[in-house]
Amino acid sequence: MEQILANGIYLGAQYAMIALGLTLIFALMNVLNFAHGQMYVLGGFVTYTFYGQLGLPFVLALTMSCVTLAVVGALIEKFLFGPVIRRSAREESTMLLAAGLAFFFDAVILLVFGEKQRGVPKIVDGVFNWDFRVIMPYDRILICVLAILSIVAFILFMQYSKTGRALRALAQDRTAAQLMGVNVERYSMIGFALGAMLAGLVGGLLVTITGINLGMGGPTSIKAFMMVMIGGAGVISGAIAGGIILGFMEAIGLAVLSQYGDITYLMIFVSLMIFLAIRPQGLMGKPWG
Amino acid sequence: MLKLTMGQWIGLGVFLAAIFIAVPALIAASGRTDFYFTLTSVALLSIASAGVWLMFYIGRINIGQGAFALIGAYVSAILVTKAGMSFWLTLPIAGLFAAFVAVLIGLPILRLRGVYFAMISLVLTQVVTLTALALPITNGAKGITSIPLPGAISIFGLTLVPDFASMENSRLAFYYTACFLMVLTFAAMYRLVNSRLGHICRSMQQNEELAASIGINIAYIRIVVFAISSFFGGIGGAMFGSIAQSVYPSTFVVTDSVNFMLNCFLGGLGYVFGPMLGTLVLYFGWDLLFESGKYQLLIYSSLLIAAMLVLPNGLLSLRLDMFRRSGK
Amino acid sequence: MSALLEVKAVTKRFGGLTANHNISFDVAENEILSVIGPNGAGKSTLFKMISSFLPTTSGEVLFKGERISNLKPHIVARKGVVRTFQETTIFKSMTVRESVIVAQHLRAKASLAGYFWGSKTALADVAAFGAYADELIDFLGLGDIRNELASNLPQGHLRALGIAIGLATDPTVLLLDEPFAGMNHDETMQMVALVKKVRDDRGVTVLLVEHDMPAVMNISDRIVVLNFGEMIAEGTPTQIQNNEKVIEAYLGSADDEIGV
Repeated sequence: MEQILANGIYLGAQYAMIALGLTLIFALMNVLNFAHGQMYVLGGFVTYTFYGQLGLPFVLALTMSCVTLAVVGALIEKFLFGPVIRRSAREESTMLLAAGLAFFFDAVILLVFGEKQRGVPKIVDGVFNWDFRVIMPYDRILICVLAILSIVAFILFMQYSKTGRALRALAQDRTAAQLMGVNVERYSMIGFALGAMLAGLVGGLLVTITGINLGMGGPTSIKAFMMVMIGGAGVISGAIAGGIILGFMEAIGLAVLSQYGDITYLMIFVSLMIFLAIRPQGLMGKPWG
Repeated sequence: MLKLTMGQWIGLGVFLAAIFIAVPALIAASGRTDFYFTLTSVALLSIASAGVWLMFYIGRINIGQGAFALIGAYVSAILVTKAGMSFWLTLPIAGLFAAFVAVLIGLPILRLRGVYFAMISLVLTQVVTLTALALPITNGAKGITSIPLPGAISIFGLTLVPDFASMENSRLAFYYTACFLMVLTFAAMYRLVNSRLGHICRSMQQNEELAASIGINIAYIRIVVFAISSFFGGIGGAMFGSIAQSVYPSTFVVTDSVNFMLNCFLGGLGYVFGPMLGTLVLYFGWDLLFESGKYQLLIYSSLLIAAMLVLPNGLLSLRLDMFRRSGK
Repeated sequence: MSALLEVKAVTKRFGGLTANHNISFDVAENEILSVIGPNGAGKSTLFKMISSFLPTTSGEVLFKGERISNLKPHIVARKGVVRTFQETTIFKSMTVRESVIVAQHLRAKASLAGYFWGSKTALADVAAFGAYADELIDFLGLGDIRNELASNLPQGHLRALGIAIGLATDPTVLLLDEPFAGMNHDETMQMVALVKKVRDDRGVTVLLVEHDMPAVMNISDRIVVLNFGEMIAEGTPTQIQNNEKVIEAYLGSADDEIGV
């Protein structure tokens, strides 16, 4: 029982971070970022390069992941999503663009880093063992703590910084924000960069545990979509709730259902469908007409 | 009751002659029989894409067509291998079964709109893949292999379609069959879109509340359209499985679902024949880029992004622009 | 006075918030009845409940003695109670004529499959829809813009288009959602004339929600006044003008709105 709880928190924290980035981008620009999983993978490979290959300190490598993805996110917004959104009001257009970007990132990652699974040396050794009730390697605990700290930092940033407040205003009502004097173009770019950065940060954190490979992008995006749907799209608290719920469902599923074969995700999908049938807007989303 | 102008009749004639006479002749002359497989795939995938296009027509972004194609492929494969049924009989059953599943799933999820429906439909593809992996009847990851080729169809001793296995060139037979199904599909789509039904669909695409306020049963129409869309997906998938003579959980995956959607975008959401052209260009483009080796995906995705920036309304919008410029 | 539409003790709560509390009134045949009240009085919530776009928390709405609340909107429309929307809710990429044609859904005699195969009934329907669309468009004075895309129309024409779409369903009762909002005096007077013409020439009963007082006084046979979700008055325009509760409610919120 305690083990399931610990695993749930560990998975939930990292999932929540992925979902936060996706939901932020969605809230600001109404863009469903298909390439979110690929951004996560890219972040993992950057940390792999700087920490695993070049032997730089882990913190530095992690910073590089964040910076790289933030820059990539900003550029994508400025040169691709921004112009397309301005020209066409249909949400379909941005979706095509996002799908194209997902393929593009896959191609770039394939060319630069190859198809192989890559791992890095452990950041801390040893295993925490509480009377065999909870067993968890120290590096997982560290990553989990870092993830939770990042989430808290993100929430504080959104709540109290000037940029965060502007982003929230933008997410709530684009036109009203513009009237209030928020520089919409600038903050759209910042928001996209921030969302991409979160994806890169999780990628960098998790490469130390699960390693990273090209094929992880798509499934990560799908998981992120599910979390966002559980919590309600475009709502920050919803993304966190969705991440934690999915993390716990996965932890429970792996513990309880594994004897019946690999059906955890099938069960999660089915329950998600039933849940959405009852509550289409997710847990914390606004009901819409 | 198709009311076509003279120009449209000529266009239709040219198109039919091209796919049924010119293409086989050219392939025979050039000896590139491998094109049969490519073109057959294009025809079948464009049938599935047509379904996705129809969903766009009522304002739903369907990224779940891979799920229904996979369902169709499995239904046909299971009926042929386990029950020994004729492939030709399993083809409509596969389509109908996919439509039936669509009705069951559609009841809850069609209430969702915009990106919400898009997300859940994407998840759906994953669900079906996982179901195929988990069920005993689909034989898990090993899939169903060595599916026999379609047999003969004969009525009162008259052989309408010969046994594919006895043919020396079953590729040509599959090509003709696929093209025939494609023509049928798009004829039905054209008719639907240009009748009052299409008008009703468009009203729902533009505003569901207003459509409901004038007495249209929007929930019913949504289900019907989703069922038709999935029927096309099931038919395309079943035929595909028959050609490959095997079905695996990975035969249609999330990427395929996304590609069906891209085919529609690229061809143009405003044009019935958009998905056909989009499938042709994307599939052929991908094949042609094979020469570029490891840069294949990079070039392909860059072109896709560029197309989005330059032609936000799809390839067929080019044609209309040309007409407008020449003063028509 | 025979009641065509009866609103009976309708209440709506959103969580802890009561948007409408115990509202009851009748609408007689061939009458123009307005529901007015300051912003936030619960007018649009009531409007949505009458057209079944929102379920009631308690109470019911009857039309010819049959319950029409808590149903699906298209079923209410089928029974003959049809609502219009404010001007942002239109078929954007349809022309005026196309919009009015598609809106004749309830006049269709052929089945959906009939339209696909092009059955005789379907062809007759299509011809009839076209003719009736032209008749309605001329009736509402939209003849010059019949082939304009709805997204290109100015506000005044959009309101008229909204009414055309509603009328195309052959309604018994037409519910109008703030038909005069954002209009200047002249536009409002034209619209008032149009709504009266719809009632007089087409025999349609009209229920509208609105906060433009002068227009409402001019157009209505009877008026129902809401304030903070409660019904505070009901009567003829003259009665309402002299009702102390109404004057108080309006003075309490905004002096300029009453303007009578």
